[in-house]
Amino acid sequence: MKRIPLFPWILIFLGFLYFFLPLIGTLDFSLRLVKDQITLEAYKNVVTSARFQNTFTYSFIMALWTIVAATLLVTPTVYWVHLKLPHLRPIVEFITLLTYVVPAIILVFGLIRIYSRPPLSLLESEIGSDFLLVMGYVSLALPAMYRSVDAGLRAIDVRTLTEAAQSLGAGWRTILLDVIFPNLRVALLSGAFVTFAMVIGEFTIATFLARPAFGPYMANLGQTRPYESTALTIISLALTWACIGMMQLLGRGAQGQIAGTR
Amino acid sequence: MAFLELTNISKVFGQTPAVQDFNLQVEKGEFVSFLGPSGCGKTTTLRMIAGFELPTTGTVVVNGNDVTNKPPQKRNTGMVFQAYALFPNMNVAENIGFGLKIARKPKDEIKKRVEEVLAIIKMESFGNRYPYQLSGGQQQRVALARALAIQPQVLLLDEPLSALDAKIRVSLRQEIRAIQQKLGITTVYVTHDQEEALSLSDRVVVMNNSKIEQVGTPFEIYNFPKTEFTAQFVGTLNSIPATVRHAANGELTVDSQTLVTAQKLAGIADGEAVMISIRPERISFASEGRKPNVLNIKVENITFLGSIVRVQVRAGEHLFLMDTFNNPFLKLPEVGDKVEITFSKEAVLVLRHASQI
Repeated sequence: MKRIPLFPWILIFLGFLYFFLPLIGTLDFSLRLVKDQITLEAYKNVVTSARFQNTFTYSFIMALWTIVAATLLVTPTVYWVHLKLPHLRPIVEFITLLTYVVPAIILVFGLIRIYSRPPLSLLESEIGSDFLLVMGYVSLALPAMYRSVDAGLRAIDVRTLTEAAQSLGAGWRTILLDVIFPNLRVALLSGAFVTFAMVIGEFTIATFLARPAFGPYMANLGQTRPYESTALTIISLALTWACIGMMQLLGRGAQGQIAGTR
Repeated sequence: MAFLELTNISKVFGQTPAVQDFNLQVEKGEFVSFLGPSGCGKTTTLRMIAGFELPTTGTVVVNGNDVTNKPPQKRNTGMVFQAYALFPNMNVAENIGFGLKIARKPKDEIKKRVEEVLAIIKMESFGNRYPYQLSGGQQQRVALARALAIQPQVLLLDEPLSALDAKIRVSLRQEIRAIQQKLGITTVYVTHDQEEALSLSDRVVVMNNSKIEQVGTPFEIYNFPKTEFTAQFVGTLNSIPATVRHAANGELTVDSQTLVTAQKLAGIADGEAVMISIRPERISFASEGRKPNVLNIKVENITFLGSIVRVQVRAGEHLFLMDTFNNPFLKLPEVGDKVEITFSKEAVLVLRHASQI
């Protein structure tokens, strides 16, 4: 009779406890706003709060702009590196990783220092500040976006597809819009969801640029209203998991849809 | 004036010459193959015709127009790639209509043309399928249709059958040739498969080490190779060192046995060492009928290849291969037997190196 190995199961159980006990505790706490009752009152208070709605909407819009800007910056760059400058790939990869090396606090102080005085006084207007916030988010999103697009381009034969389109009369604009972008759909969506999850919870840049974002709101709520704050944490986690779930779902759908020689 | 003219083409990557002294004229409607081993420069030459590479020197002229410096999208050359290169986000009809859409043809015209080329490749009912729903052979037929749809001046095929299995390769190459002849389209085909080049082409350009070794019809290339490389690369060949005994009479010595060649040995002195080549299929056992050349040999090995039986024989220190049709009623000698083999004067080719031509 085959013996069931005990040790791996103990490890799995310990891992489960490590990851899920704090979550279960947080969930339980968020449901105890009313003494001796399990209630969704804290969630109701959060969702119906005008500040929640305003900050979430604001961060949602900023996330969309970040995704658009990061896509337009990263996709053509990585495409060109794949096609014409493959020897520059390590350098581009290093640049995208700088975000991990330079803390957000340094980045935001750099932005404030440069853009708070002439000739580029962007911080004097709302639009200018929003623009800086989005640019800051784009630099934070670079590692995720670069890796998604890079993986997407590696999965298709970029050079041959480009040459096939060229031989049929296509210029660069048509090649990018009609051939490359549509075939990177899954990679771009995956990068977009990671970016979205990152932007929704971002605290440092939004706080120091004094923007009405969701991250600072969550932090502020944590200091004054503990039950609502934990409810918000659960909501935020659910949103992140939803994003990851969407990525998995879309990624699975794309498997095997790449034709050609393999 | 030829339809496609490549004049003094060369291409250097860094310090490495990829193509040198390439001159070729292709007539309208002709099917020309570039044949050679990997790295010989055949694909680079094709890419220069397509416009994906700029020649370091020389000119590419198509139908009287110098296109040397034109970008690929302005050359009107259809290209078929080894990796098919169908656009995964488009279905078959959209793939085929892509070039026409870029040329801003009316929708009705695109639809009609797509149907026409789908009929040519016998895939009328596949218009709505996506590339990942097709087999390799079907994908390559669609790639061919896509290249044909734009009615290119020159059709370029870069090892289009290499990724397919043997049976499909044979049927698709017959299909490619039939379509090319039907449409009368000028075609340049790159391959390292000699059988493909010989069976498809009007002319074959044999390349080696970035240079042309020989240009000729498949018959000429196979039967009258001008260089040792061509002879070795195309078909199986026995290459044997020999000594010229009497150049005026075409007499040579191999292992103290005298052979005669029909080839004129002008410029070669008596006593000079040369290399002779004989195709295996041109050698037979003397017991089946004697020809002018007869050698005493020992049978070393016999290999059954289906329709052909390949016999390895030894004459002194030289090993020969000879092919004989599989005839179940013919008794073959056994390994170790000493017998005579025979071949005609015409079967003996005295080869020179490319640099000497």
